[in-house]
Amino acid sequence: MSETEFERRLSAAIRDEMPPLHAPEELRQRVRAAISNAATPTRWERWGGGPYSSTTRWLALAASLALVAVGGTVGYQLAERRAGEAALADQVLASHVRSLMPGHLTDVVSSDQHTVKPWFNGKLDYSPPVSDFTTQGFPLLGGRLDYVGGRPVGALVYGRRQHVINVLLWPAIAGAEGPSVRTRQGYHLLHWTAGDYTWWVASDLGLSELQEFAGLLRADQTRSSR
Amino acid sequence: MESSELERFEAIVLPHLDAAYTLARYLTGNTQDAQDIVQDASLRALKYFRGFRGTEPRDGRAWLLTIVRNTVRTWRQRRHPQSADTAFDEEQHSERIADDDAAVNLDRKETRARLGEALAQLPDEFREVIVLRDIQELSYQEISEVTGVPEGTVMSRLHRARQRLRRMLVRGGKTGERVI
Repeated sequence: MSETEFERRLSAAIRDEMPPLHAPEELRQRVRAAISNAATPTRWERWGGGPYSSTTRWLALAASLALVAVGGTVGYQLAERRAGEAALADQVLASHVRSLMPGHLTDVVSSDQHTVKPWFNGKLDYSPPVSDFTTQGFPLLGGRLDYVGGRPVGALVYGRRQHVINVLLWPAIAGAEGPSVRTRQGYHLLHWTAGDYTWWVASDLGLSELQEFAGLLRADQTRSSR
Repeated sequence: MESSELERFEAIVLPHLDAAYTLARYLTGNTQDAQDIVQDASLRALKYFRGFRGTEPRDGRAWLLTIVRNTVRTWRQRRHPQSADTAFDEEQHSERIADDDAAVNLDRKETRARLGEALAQLPDEFREVIVLRDIQELSYQEISEVTGVPEGTVMSRLHRARQRLRRMLVRGGKTGERVI
């Protein structure tokens, strides 16, 4: 056998025995999370002057410092919590906007809550409650993993006519709170903490309809926790 | 990073995660290390993406693999600082083999089963050209780009790496028994 012939056959044997591999799904998600986390804060720079600009951050910090001076520890903790919540709102909105980019909305596409809920198994350290509100006009479209507030979180995607509603939720640390409403860049953000979870709802849907939807979620949770 | 830039990154670089993982896995021999390296390399790629001029998804492969390859080297130096001191010497790592030893039957199951082990024992510089060429099917030009050595060196290195594999296969396992 000639040298070249041997090399050719060795190449073929290597290719047979050691095929190209597929990146594990876990790795894909880790990379996506790391990238969106790294890219998100700078993304706001482009929209500089948006409602949550660096000026706002400094103002929040200044406000919290002022409160330390004036109000002492309690005031400081309150301001810190507000600043933390504002930062979270920032990330929730980024998650919502990112989800609207082509191909980013859902990792699991299903209108069946019994398909979406188990899909999160092994991907999160909690099992998010999933309900379908098709009969009320808010069909479940699917679910997705995202990375918000320094942790992987579950996102549930609902539809209303042509509008997309993102619901992000994770286990609550503090007690019951809210709901509160924010409006940024034409998107509404609703936030509350009730029962075991902290909830964020983001959409460009009209505020009254979005509040109706939030009411459904809240009622559903109250029912299931009873 | 602007969102259009992020979209470009997602279109040009992220499709090559399989290739990145394949390279990292065969270079490290460990799935967990390979995952950590690919995640690390992806973040580095994101950081340096502004300086990357590619426009097509296929442009991103050699570029990402270059970063993966360098990440593996950094990772190795951290783990085995002393081994980094011994510079790779092509001649020292290559030996001529006699023609009569050349008969390695690549159709034998036993021979094929030892290929992976033999590849794992090659010096990094040899192993990476084999992985890039034979497993990932990159062109010589792309391998030159990834490894940072001229195309001529890539070709001679590839040839020497294969000679070396052949020698390992001829010698057989630890018994020194010849497998033909």
